[in-house]
Amino acid sequence: MMSKNTVNTVVRKRSTIDRLGGQKFIVLLIVIALFIFFCIASPNFRKYSTLMNILDFSYYITLMAIGVTFPLITAGVDLSIGTGLICYSLFGGYLVTFGGWPVWAGMLATIMLGMVFGVINGSLVAFLDLPPFLVTLCTCMITRGVGSIIVGGFGISWPTASEPGGWFRSIFKINVNGTMIPIGFLWVLILVCVMAFVLNHTKMGRYTLAIGSNKEATRLSGVNVKFYQIMAYVISGLFAGLAAIAYSAIFSTVQPGSGAGLELDAIGGAIIGGVSASGGVGSVFGTLVGVFVICLLKTGLPFIGQQANAQQIITGIILIASVMIEIIKRKREKN
Amino acid sequence: MKKKLMALLLGSCMVVGLLAGCGSKPAEGNAENNPPAGDQQEEPSGGEDKTDEPSDEGGETAGGDFTFEIIVKSFQSSYWQAAVKGVDQKKAELGVTANCTGPNQETDIADQVQMLKDAIDKTPDGIGLAACDPKSVLEVLQTAMDKGIPVVAFDSGVPDAPAGSIVATVATDNYAAGATAAENLYPALKDKIANATAPVRIGEVNQEAASESITSRGLGFIDKIIELATADGKKVAVAGNEFYVNGVKGETVAEGEADIIIEVAVPAQSTVELCATEASKILSKEDTIGMFGSNQVAAEGILTANGNLNVLSSDPNEGILAAGFDAGKTIKGAIKDGTMFGAVTQSPLAMGQTTIEVLYKVASGESVSDVPTQGYWYNAENMEDDSIAPNLYD
Repeated sequence: MMSKNTVNTVVRKRSTIDRLGGQKFIVLLIVIALFIFFCIASPNFRKYSTLMNILDFSYYITLMAIGVTFPLITAGVDLSIGTGLICYSLFGGYLVTFGGWPVWAGMLATIMLGMVFGVINGSLVAFLDLPPFLVTLCTCMITRGVGSIIVGGFGISWPTASEPGGWFRSIFKINVNGTMIPIGFLWVLILVCVMAFVLNHTKMGRYTLAIGSNKEATRLSGVNVKFYQIMAYVISGLFAGLAAIAYSAIFSTVQPGSGAGLELDAIGGAIIGGVSASGGVGSVFGTLVGVFVICLLKTGLPFIGQQANAQQIITGIILIASVMIEIIKRKREKN
Repeated sequence: MKKKLMALLLGSCMVVGLLAGCGSKPAEGNAENNPPAGDQQEEPSGGEDKTDEPSDEGGETAGGDFTFEIIVKSFQSSYWQAAVKGVDQKKAELGVTANCTGPNQETDIADQVQMLKDAIDKTPDGIGLAACDPKSVLEVLQTAMDKGIPVVAFDSGVPDAPAGSIVATVATDNYAAGATAAENLYPALKDKIANATAPVRIGEVNQEAASESITSRGLGFIDKIIELATADGKKVAVAGNEFYVNGVKGETVAEGEADIIIEVAVPAQSTVELCATEASKILSKEDTIGMFGSNQVAAEGILTANGNLNVLSSDPNEGILAAGFDAGKTIKGAIKDGTMFGAVTQSPLAMGQTTIEVLYKVASGESVSDVPTQGYWYNAENMEDDSIAPNLYD
């Protein structure tokens, strides 16, 4: 009798939060709270330019995170997106700078290479049944090496704003009478809406969720599990390619050999936003707000005088806390 | 049937993957087959084992056909591209052979040690080494000495090398180069400091607090500012990263009593985005009047932060003056259009040339000594000069 009562209260509690959007609602409150906290703690943080900085860094992390949400939901992971981002950007940038390709073609090549690596990751996971962690760890190393070989180890600069072809830098922010307008955020929002629709209202999205919660049952009900598994990694690769373009547009020089660790910001953001590390649960909107927790911490902590290494510790603790919340939630559901 | 289709799909994926991976090979081949000699837009080529065309050797062979092995720290920045160019120029002039190799990244220490071992096995007439980590090459240097192969250290010295293994060191005096930035930045800020009613702030972004070159530059800048300001009767405080705060030689006071506060920021990782965050923290403070980034990554981080803040100017009355280090397209562009006040460039080209020259002397049996190379200040006015322009790589 006792236990039944507890279950009932738990269910009632969950439904109040769920009506407001579940974990992503809580995370949104955290984002707002963090923003207000940093504004109060540091007068220099309360500036339009700081907001612009946060947004600049948020584009490529958000794009990677949207993509990696799909493999995560299938109970997989994609660790190759960080070094991949740099590799794809170097590839496209090399074609533009040394191959004489127009910028739009270089951008297309960047995205295509991302998708190629997505197909490789997905196929190795789906057909050879290798653990996603291992596969993408290997492609993480491969992309890092490929990027360095393509450019011969030298840094690549995509055209600067004043050079011909520099128009692509204004995809993410435009200068209106000296004020920067972060239009990149609009594109990110549109992509979030599109991918949220894909995840929740299309066959592909629903199968992706089904694979994550019970792969065997999904296969037995006649779904081509392997195909949808591959597609999850292709989406991840596609968005890593888009993130590569965002990265190239914001930063002047892309250095080969860098990029390791960027994927952790994206995966961390997705998990804080409520994507389950064991698959089957997650939302694209959740990922978006989760990424902003990471971005706010990254930008805000230096402003309140925290030294660099303390920033990493705090981010790590927050990540552990959010994973623990998920596990506790799940245990309560089971009981 | 279905299985066959899948196998086909998987197979084609692998082929596409392979093609993507090898896509660079033809381009690399091209770069090596048609060396655009003397061309500024020289293509970056071969991260590893960049063997030079023997045809470069031709012409006036002054004496002996020596073979040298040159090992750079990495091919990661255009800085090394300029150094390799210097090597190529000098070897053509002297009629010697020189092979340039280097690891992919400056942190690939083990790779570089292996390359050094391989170089010794080739028994060349001399080795030029830019050590990524001075400590890990010590043992191999002993081997080189035992085999009688002279080693010239360039770019960075190897302080603890077995006596006699390094015959000479060709390197920038980083401490003096950092001071050069201060010597040029301070006079421009002098009036502002003299007229200030409240303490003013000078920021410094260093990508890390470990390597000899970065820390020496950072401390060289701080010490010089303290020296110049103290001579003007101003008190200086140093705040921020502990390593730099503790490393300062000059006389400092507490932040509350200071006329000038030097704030040193070091990001958690040496990436441009984290340097930009640290830079924007300092640039958004109202009392900041000057800024120094101690290498290409840090200086580009300052410029990235300024993309949103728009507070930099080369006129002290209009904004914050920023001094950079090294060159590259972005920094050169910013100095040209007046966003950045100026920067210090090392002389990688001269360093490459001098290394070959010193190796040549050693192989010919002449005695040699250390050659310190300089850091040069450049700004919008002098960046086209003949003495400066060749060192400003893209």
